[in-house]
Amino acid sequence: MRAGRRRDAVVLLALSLYAAPFFWQALTSVRPDAELLPLTRLLPSRLTWVHYDVVLRQSLMPRALINSLGIALLSTLLAIGLGALAAYALARLPVRGRGVILLAMVAATAFPQIATVSPLYLLMRALGLRDTWLALILANGSFALPLVIWLLTGFIREIPRALEEAAAVDGADRLAILRWVVLPLVAPGMASAALLAFLFSWNEFLFAYSFTATEASRTVPVALALFPGVFEVPWGDIAAASLLASLPPILIVVGFQRYLVRGLLAGALRE
Amino acid sequence: MSDRGLAWLLLSPALLVLATLTVYPALWVLWLAFQYRIPVFGISRWAGLDHFAFLAEGTRFWNAAWVTGVFTVTSVALESALGLAIAVALRGQRGGRRTALALLLLAWALPSVVTAKMFEWLYHPAGGLVNFLLGDRAINWLGDPALALPSLILADVWRATPFVALLCYARLLTIPPDLYEAAEVDGAAGLQAFARITWPLVRPILLVTMLFRTLDAIRAFDIMFVLTGGGPAGSTESLTVYAYRALFQTLQIGLGSAIGVVVFALVMVVAAVYLRLIGRPERTA
Amino acid sequence: MAPRPARAAAAGLFLPLLLALSAGGCGERPGAGAPITLVFKHAKILGPADPMPGLLRRFEADHPGVRVQSEALTWSSDEQHQFYVINLEGGGPPFDVMMLDVIWVPEFARAGWILDLTSSVPPAERDAHFPTAIAPAMQDGRLWALPWFMNVGLLYYRADLLAKYGFGAPPETYEELIAQVRRIRAGERDPSLDGYLWQGKQYEGGMVNVLEALWANGARLLDEAGRPFPEAERARESLAFLRGLIESGVSPAWVTAADEELTRRPFGDGRAIFLRSWPYALDLFELPDSRVRGKVGVAPIPRLRHGPVGAASTGGAHLAVSARTRHRDLAVALARFLTSETAQRAMTEGAALRPSRPALYRDAGLIARDPSLPALHGLMLRGHPRPITPYYLMLSTTLQPEFSAVLVGRKSPARAMRDATAQVEHLLRSVTP
Repeated sequence: MRAGRRRDAVVLLALSLYAAPFFWQALTSVRPDAELLPLTRLLPSRLTWVHYDVVLRQSLMPRALINSLGIALLSTLLAIGLGALAAYALARLPVRGRGVILLAMVAATAFPQIATVSPLYLLMRALGLRDTWLALILANGSFALPLVIWLLTGFIREIPRALEEAAAVDGADRLAILRWVVLPLVAPGMASAALLAFLFSWNEFLFAYSFTATEASRTVPVALALFPGVFEVPWGDIAAASLLASLPPILIVVGFQRYLVRGLLAGALRE
Repeated sequence: MSDRGLAWLLLSPALLVLATLTVYPALWVLWLAFQYRIPVFGISRWAGLDHFAFLAEGTRFWNAAWVTGVFTVTSVALESALGLAIAVALRGQRGGRRTALALLLLAWALPSVVTAKMFEWLYHPAGGLVNFLLGDRAINWLGDPALALPSLILADVWRATPFVALLCYARLLTIPPDLYEAAEVDGAAGLQAFARITWPLVRPILLVTMLFRTLDAIRAFDIMFVLTGGGPAGSTESLTVYAYRALFQTLQIGLGSAIGVVVFALVMVVAAVYLRLIGRPERTA
Repeated sequence: MAPRPARAAAAGLFLPLLLALSAGGCGERPGAGAPITLVFKHAKILGPADPMPGLLRRFEADHPGVRVQSEALTWSSDEQHQFYVINLEGGGPPFDVMMLDVIWVPEFARAGWILDLTSSVPPAERDAHFPTAIAPAMQDGRLWALPWFMNVGLLYYRADLLAKYGFGAPPETYEELIAQVRRIRAGERDPSLDGYLWQGKQYEGGMVNVLEALWANGARLLDEAGRPFPEAERARESLAFLRGLIESGVSPAWVTAADEELTRRPFGDGRAIFLRSWPYALDLFELPDSRVRGKVGVAPIPRLRHGPVGAASTGGAHLAVSARTRHRDLAVALARFLTSETAQRAMTEGAALRPSRPALYRDAGLIARDPSLPALHGLMLRGHPRPITPYYLMLSTTLQPEFSAVLVGRKSPARAMRDATAQVEHLLRSVTP
């Protein structure tokens, strides 16, 4: 047993080292400017909150955080809302060409963003949606939709038909079955899909960089990439901004790990 | 309402969104690839195959294809090997599993821009941890054409390995321990057990993750763009970065779309090849 | 003639009156409700003091009911351009007056994003600026932007080191420069003393350095028809020369990743003999706590075999009025005010900027603060603007990777020129029907 515990500790230590780049960035965010360049000592002589102060008070990050949060929540809502309905239809209802549609969903998850960004840019421009939340909600939501449909179709299929049949026997129609039987049972699966969709939208860079122009709709990754520096690059401030940008992902990995893992596995193990 | 009617009612919103924002752009980009289209100057006319001919004859395109190829093959190979190793190491984990997975998944969950900035700082010649640990040598990881691509690959491997590790780990968990105990009784342990038991059972899932990772690596953009921007001197300019520059730095929508179409075709071909390899009746046992 | 302060004040009082009287004019009445806000987009002004707030408040004082809201752009020129393009092309929120890099003016004019100022600017006012500043702002014979401040490439040198080793004058040819570097470094025996610093990173600044090397050898980038490298052999020599600077160690390898600031600092810390940069650096070298204070001289860019001395690139920023402004006359007034003699004098005094008006280079007050002005005047006149074409940015971003490949040694000059030509030809095919 002791050998097992020691082994466990070694593995944990190794994984901590794996995550070391992140911890280093966290350390950088509290390191005083004078000790950043050049690097002469591993641990800072003192901790400072000045970088966070600059980021929260003088930079565009707070606004970007709000943008990212709003856009991620709404695009997740869009993907899950439309995706759940479509998944139920594909899983349980007679649909001609179901196989083709599902195959198309799978294919759509492989679409390269770099190919669709130019027509989407022209489309957003034509619709006057440049630099708006709606542009990104639509772009992110539609990009996550195929994966959500694929995942949820699989999850719904896992629910025993007997439950639905029993409800049907009791006189419930399709929509009632969906609402009262299927949705509650597939809720954990929906949570998994929602987490993946949210993460995708939060982390998304290409569309956000191309469709946004000002802080009205700039998301966190774009704000981070365009972090201003007049003379030199403010590494400490960037580290602080990076940490703030990582809060939702950290929360999800630490707090909702089970759902996240389930979503990832389902996506890969389904053929 | 009939079941069929309900089905289409439930499907149509999703299909409409996809048709407008995914299918239509996919077709549109093909159309754009055959145009000279520069919105800034109002240029819009037929180009035929001119963009593709130009790309085929141009060294910049083949350099980008080379970078994409090297990046993809190397990243996927490293991620798969490392991911499998981590999965095997984790397999025997009894306590602290949640913590272990959290530490591992953190790298995967971070926004790629955060990862890019993180590694840019780690690789900094004067202030970076890497040079500090190596003994203060002022190696310019991202500025040296010979070192930039390997540095970039390392960053992406760090980011993507957890995905491979997680999937392999999940698969390994389903292998009953009795198999290993029986093998030990038979005198086969360690490497032999791995080769005879673990590998055949984990191979299918590894292939699936390699497919995902390959497609992702071909399409990779964020890390490359933010970490090196395609430099120095195009040594890290993948097809996606080349396309982006053509599209948004010079607003040559036609040329950028042509490159995008090439990436599109590449992704579809690779996916088709992989699926044939995986789709053979070799179900996960 | 630039308006004297009194005239400016009078115009300032007259203007709102004019607006109030104009029927159905393209502006609202200042006094009749909410104040008019003009949005002015510009990059952060470098230098000891920021003259902008003072100037803008002055304009507001002269135009009651008008507020000028100043909005900052990102630091990098390429990013500024992308911001403008995405905004102006995609119909983003309008701004009224914008600061443009001089190289963008023909492009923005052709795209229809800025107003034709020809009728709003009297010829006398136009002639009060350097011809090399006005020429790049002209397209199809019309004036599209007013010069705000001007730059020209300079050779900075450590006068103390040159004097110490008996070199009476700064080098006129690059051969002399290399010889001086070798001699001084042999004598100083300081491994951290670099020879010649310049900007070789893959960005517009790097392009400027390459162009100066071409012009220094009598080569052009394009001919009149837009064909690249008309003097191919000389161009090849120039590119080989730049790469040779790095290979021979005259310039450190990191110049291939260096921009203006990354090269200014080492020179300002006394760790380099020569630096190619813009005039702003001089102000920073002459700060009280600068290590090279009093030791820095400026000279024209040296020449190679076939070219003239002082074939420097001009640069700088212009002010243009957005075509979608809702306050046309006010915006034009703001642009004219900020480019007036008074404003440019304030900018020269407060910030590390050089005016685009020759008259200010003969101003006794300014010369007392900055004795280099008369020398700069001559350099400004001799400078070359970069190719004046709406497609300049496209050309530059297409050519930058090719030149960068030469500088880092990935491609031979001949090969890079061949590849560059193919790309330029494809580009020109796209834009010319």
